[in-house]
Amino acid sequence: MTSAFAQLRALLALRWQMVRTPGVRLSIVLAGIVTLWLLSVVARSSAALEPAALTAALALAPAAFLGFGVLAVAAPLSSGGGNELVPPDQLVGFPVRPTTQFLGGLALAPLNLVWVVQLLALTAETAYLTIGTSLLRGALTTAAYVLCATALGQAVAWVVSGLRQTRGGRRTVGGLALLIAVTAVAVVRAGRGRDLLEHSPTRFVVTAISRSTDTGRWALTTGLLVALGAVGLLGGAHACAWALRRPGDLGSLRHSRPVRRRPAPGSALRALVCVDRASVWRAPALRRGGLVLLVLPGIAASSAAVPWSTLVVLPGLVAAGTGLLFGVNAFCLDASGAVWLASLPHPPALVARAKTLVLTETVLAAVTVAAVTGSLRSPGSPTAAELTAIVSSALACTAVVVAICLRSSVRRPHRADLGGPRDAVAPPGALCFASVVLAAPAAAVGMVLESASTTGYAWLAPLLAAPMIVGAVLVVNASLQRYNQPLVRSRVVQVVSAG
Amino acid sequence: MEPVLLASGLVVDFGEVRAVAGFDLSVGAGRSVALVGRNGAGKSTTMRVLAGVLPPTSGTVIVGGVDASRDPSSVRALVGYCPDVGGLIPRATPWEHLQLAARLRGMGPAWQPRATDLLERFDLAGVADRITSGFSHGMGRRLSVLLAAFHEPRLLLLDEPFDGVDPLGVEATMEVIAAARDSGAAVLVSTHLLPLAVEACHEAVVLKGGRVVGAAPASELMGDDGRDRYRSLIQ
Repeated sequence: MTSAFAQLRALLALRWQMVRTPGVRLSIVLAGIVTLWLLSVVARSSAALEPAALTAALALAPAAFLGFGVLAVAAPLSSGGGNELVPPDQLVGFPVRPTTQFLGGLALAPLNLVWVVQLLALTAETAYLTIGTSLLRGALTTAAYVLCATALGQAVAWVVSGLRQTRGGRRTVGGLALLIAVTAVAVVRAGRGRDLLEHSPTRFVVTAISRSTDTGRWALTTGLLVALGAVGLLGGAHACAWALRRPGDLGSLRHSRPVRRRPAPGSALRALVCVDRASVWRAPALRRGGLVLLVLPGIAASSAAVPWSTLVVLPGLVAAGTGLLFGVNAFCLDASGAVWLASLPHPPALVARAKTLVLTETVLAAVTVAAVTGSLRSPGSPTAAELTAIVSSALACTAVVVAICLRSSVRRPHRADLGGPRDAVAPPGALCFASVVLAAPAAAVGMVLESASTTGYAWLAPLLAAPMIVGAVLVVNASLQRYNQPLVRSRVVQVVSAG
Repeated sequence: MEPVLLASGLVVDFGEVRAVAGFDLSVGAGRSVALVGRNGAGKSTTMRVLAGVLPPTSGTVIVGGVDASRDPSSVRALVGYCPDVGGLIPRATPWEHLQLAARLRGMGPAWQPRATDLLERFDLAGVADRITSGFSHGMGRRLSVLLAAFHEPRLLLLDEPFDGVDPLGVEATMEVIAAARDSGAAVLVSTHLLPLAVEACHEAVVLKGGRVVGAAPASELMGDDGRDRYRSLIQ
């Protein structure tokens, strides 16, 4: 049989060939070039930093490296092991090795906006840590850390995915998650979060980078990271093979368990909303992603005890993440049922309106939970300006994300099954693009309103948010009207129901 | 008497590909017509146009005297459509499909006994509350036929209703077609399974390259001679 690396090459080539539009191909290449350029700019940014800012940045270095490690585990965990180059149902006729699947997930790890942003942060920290020493040595250690964390993170995610195949395994994983959550809460409540961060294992990596002229220490740490990365690669490939061949009861349970009948909805819109809501929460990948978004950002903000004014930025990040769950390709919820649905007598925009409502309630719920959880340990009481800014940010970010998602759903539909634990709503490249398109405006809204919160004027944030919400509503209406056009609607239906 | 379905000059282009190239058909009340032809002949595309899912590039579709281009919603109310592949919302149950159809079609409270009866006839009562993504292909087909016939439409469009369906399912589908015909509905069955098409319908229309190349009473396509005639039309 062909080696895993040869299979990976073939799948990557196939994936590239499946990008049919020249403009999209050019965008992907440009995005890669821009990312490399940004990395080189950040790597040379240390000279521009004030001494005070430099001290603050250096103090954050262990936490920044730890943050990357947490992301390296959380990202593949939230996608049930790792992203897939090609959906498995399209590869059933091909003898694709589990190792290929593992390597594919690893290759796709950088197609994640948060991963890239964290990499930029680590590059900046490396540049600051190596002032007066060797940037090249520091960069090598950072690269080894990034590879090691990413490989180990994927390996852990596959182990968890394998464990969750059985009832006992799910209980074990649930118990472990509860234990971690309780420990985290206890540490945060005891005020030991900062101590923990300062004593995180990543400080050894930071020390090796900052004292890279100490060749022995540097070589030992870097070598250890490379060795751990190799363990992650080998162990991850085995864990992936084990998880995939493990006879699971999860799928059969899901399919054989009857669903409780609910009373007939009172209106056509309500009936569509009920079906869409069920389509979201009955999809394992969406349910898991939704729970992660409901829990993690709020806990992270709470453990860091972020100031009230900083909390204004949180809704934007959470809203963008929630939009990526299914919002950017909302019509895929109907899959092949879209054809049947289109043959029923109803105003066409009703289907789009139902999806807009479900998306809005999901985003708003995630944003509210994150904001409330995140504020639990914020120091002092919020000022009126901070409070109105947080509420305005939650509403404006939700509106902006919903508007972008609906526009994307109508203009760029994709076929997606969402039946399996690793299924995504769009191909990896499209999701990465969507994450940029969602995160940039949502973060911008958050930052504008954060600035408003520091002015002390409680009326300013709502005043700034109002035109944003109005603009978003106009975009939503334009998308609904576009979906009303028979040709546009039939294209969406054909694409999402194909296969 | 005015036909239930009148399609004339239907053309469907997908970019440079002409999928349907001037389709004409008239089906009267109480009549059933089989749409047969090879893969890629344009059967499913034609069915999608007739169901109001896909707008034609040109041509007209009139169902029960209503022009589909002028009042598509009224036409959809008269039509029951079983798509060729899938046609089910993957994480909804059969009961939820029926509930949604009843609501969107504005059916009164009498829909529940009708739904229960159909679920039993199609041997789906035991799985009425399970999500359809776990269904076998045959179960999915049976549910699609059931949903098409649920509101007793004036025009029943069944695209590949027998594909992968067991004998009991075929029997239930035949009964639905017969009941529709008896109630005065027009039935159009698209299939590549000639023997079943012949059994289910009065007439067969042969499609090739997106246009009708022949039509005959279904009985004339029975037996070896009928098969030879069919083969000569589609080749």
